[in-house]
Amino acid sequence: MEMVFIAASIIIGFGALATGIGFGILGGKLLEATARQPEMANQLQVKTFIMAGLLDAVPMIGVGIAMYLIFVVAG
Amino acid sequence: MKPRRHQITYVPLARWLIIEFTGLVVISLIWSLQSFLAGYSAFIGGLIFIVPNAWFVHRVYRYQGARQTRLMVGNLFRAESTKIALTAVFFAAVFTLMEPVHVPALLFTFAVMVVTGGALRWLIRPQTRR
Repeated sequence: MEMVFIAASIIIGFGALATGIGFGILGGKLLEATARQPEMANQLQVKTFIMAGLLDAVPMIGVGIAMYLIFVVAG
Repeated sequence: MKPRRHQITYVPLARWLIIEFTGLVVISLIWSLQSFLAGYSAFIGGLIFIVPNAWFVHRVYRYQGARQTRLMVGNLFRAESTKIALTAVFFAAVFTLMEPVHVPALLFTFAVMVVTGGALRWLIRPQTRR
């Protein structure tokens, strides 16, 4: 039973770590690019938004599976 | 002197939400061929994705323009963490409060909506207005 909780925490933890690194890089690059070319700010925002959607797809599914493990398999 | 024209790029969010809801209804109807419970669970699974995602979009597009970039990036981080937290809370609520639940339909529809949401961001081209 404890293994299920460990598995869920690994899924959520690594998902959060990867998303944090990805969003940090994404936000940093957005700030950098907007500082270089302020007239492109709106287009850069849209591209950031698109990349954010791709970035958080896997952690979102991971959260769903982790909640299933915690509340259905272990519960 | 000719005035400078600024092009504002925006994502057609209303159309995007309509497409997502239409896809969700179609998937739910397909699952409901198996049983009413499966269709109902599939619809709930799709809503678990759509509601936090709508919140994310609302927060990200609160600020626009080069002067607001710092606020936009801050909102991006906050919105993403809120989105993941809301998803976890919704899943926990469904698994604890909703009884019975068809888990494969719920998780499958959620995964399909996540992938569809990512693909829609590529497919729906941003539009420009002056």
